[in-house]
Amino acid sequence: MTLGRWLNRSGFGLLSPALLLLIAVFAAPLLVLLPVSLHPYVPGRGIGTSWTFDNYLAILGDGFRLEIIGRSLSLGIIVVATTLVIGYPLAYFLARTGSRLRPWLIMLVIFPLLLNVVVRSFGWIVLLSNYGLVNELLIGVGLIDRPLKLIFNFTGLLIGLTHIFLPFMVLVLIGTIQGIPRDLEDAARTMGASRAAVFLKVTLPLSAPGVLSGGILVFVLTISALVTPRLLGGPTYQVMSTLIFDEFLKILNWPRGAAMAFILTTIVLLLIWVSGRLSRRWTVVR
Amino acid sequence: MSAVRLGRGIGGAVLPAYALLVLLLLQVPVVIVMLASLTTTGYLAVPPVGVTLDWYWKVISDASYIDALTFSLTVAVIATLLSLTIGTAAAYALIRRKVPGSEAIATLLMAPLVFPAVVVAVALLRYYSLIGLRGTLISLVAAHVLITLPYVVRSVLASIASADAQLEEAARTLGADAWTAFFKVTLPLIRPGLVAGGIFSFIVSFDDVPVSIFLVSVRQTTLPVKIFTAVEHGIDPGIAAISTLLIIATGFFLVVAERWVGFHRFA
Repeated sequence: MTLGRWLNRSGFGLLSPALLLLIAVFAAPLLVLLPVSLHPYVPGRGIGTSWTFDNYLAILGDGFRLEIIGRSLSLGIIVVATTLVIGYPLAYFLARTGSRLRPWLIMLVIFPLLLNVVVRSFGWIVLLSNYGLVNELLIGVGLIDRPLKLIFNFTGLLIGLTHIFLPFMVLVLIGTIQGIPRDLEDAARTMGASRAAVFLKVTLPLSAPGVLSGGILVFVLTISALVTPRLLGGPTYQVMSTLIFDEFLKILNWPRGAAMAFILTTIVLLLIWVSGRLSRRWTVVR
Repeated sequence: MSAVRLGRGIGGAVLPAYALLVLLLLQVPVVIVMLASLTTTGYLAVPPVGVTLDWYWKVISDASYIDALTFSLTVAVIATLLSLTIGTAAAYALIRRKVPGSEAIATLLMAPLVFPAVVVAVALLRYYSLIGLRGTLISLVAAHVLITLPYVVRSVLASIASADAQLEEAARTLGADAWTAFFKVTLPLIRPGLVAGGIFSFIVSFDDVPVSIFLVSVRQTTLPVKIFTAVEHGIDPGIAAISTLLIIATGFFLVVAERWVGFHRFA
């Protein structure tokens, strides 16, 4: 069999442009970045030539940076929780409604998702700043005397990121809930289960894979997000990705930035690997 | 009995009401930005003080915004066309050919989606600096093809999987060559997937900040990166005006896409 025929038969001929692109601008750059994290930083000259683990050790031994890693991770967990609690009932409604308007209601979920993230974050700045609409309203109603600090802190990031990533959670959950046969819920009702019992014992357990994949997706997106944390956290309230941003474009300590980048990548890949194992176990059990 | 029925009626109305409330809350930041763009004051005010379109004129007559917009459109159009071509070829091969290790390859094609964008960006920054491509149009386009490819592959995969393979085989049997059979039979069948993939790709490329901000040159920046930098330096109603133009364009795009191919099915 000639090479040409093999390329055609196996499909690698058609796949080659995509695979070459992935090698040229994905795999190769990551391989090139790895040694950067293992060289020392020489002030004024950039990347040194000797080999060292100091960049990683310095990050893991530095209270300031550890706090930032912890902050990113706890933001991830809490944003997953808020998007899940707010999003599940919405997803359930959108999955089960027979309304003619359903496609357009789903478009209302997709629209903010596709809208530029800078624009959405900008909207939250206007809403949450000291003289923003939320504070003015709360003062106007008489609930508070002085403006609450809703921006450049954890609260601001939590609100902004929940809004940005809620559509992802909802879309994943809609897909899962639609796949649960309605007959199962009806059968449980017929046999005397209350609505709450049907939800807790039938619908929720069957949608667990969707909750898991939606949760992993939102967590990964949250700890990787750059634009919203920078705009709503400002230059001082840092998370992992804004720290990497500063190391590369402002402080110019690329070795330490690269080490932080690989720590972030390791966390993300580890999570995806674990969730892959978990969901496989679930499909085997069922 | 009637109390039970009333309770059920309320229970039945709570969920739709809640859903509607959340859907509306999702749009609040959008509405706020639009309102802020109309103010006559020099600072941001919501609700706006008076109504004026001056900020729009100011933005539209600002050459640097027009430059950034043109550059963003150029990058997005080239990246989307390339992404559609190589993404469709890849998706077609994965479904219609017996590819060894096809699952691993599909995972690899989706990888740029789960990798933190910042990490991909700093890796590309280092790589392009080393090979002397930093700040060029081609380097930015290549990066955008990388981040848009998963969206094209995903949409097109779904379409090809549901298109009947026997139709293309019938065309081949009747004497059409492989290209004709693909372009005349399969391509029209998978058009919705192509359109949806193309729209995702265009929006992802046009809107991208986390990757582009590391790769643009000092002289030539994209529109979202320009807005991002402007917001970092302090907000004014001009930013609200350019943002509103983006909001209107995105909304228009989505309505057309929904009418054309039922876009919500591909999300």
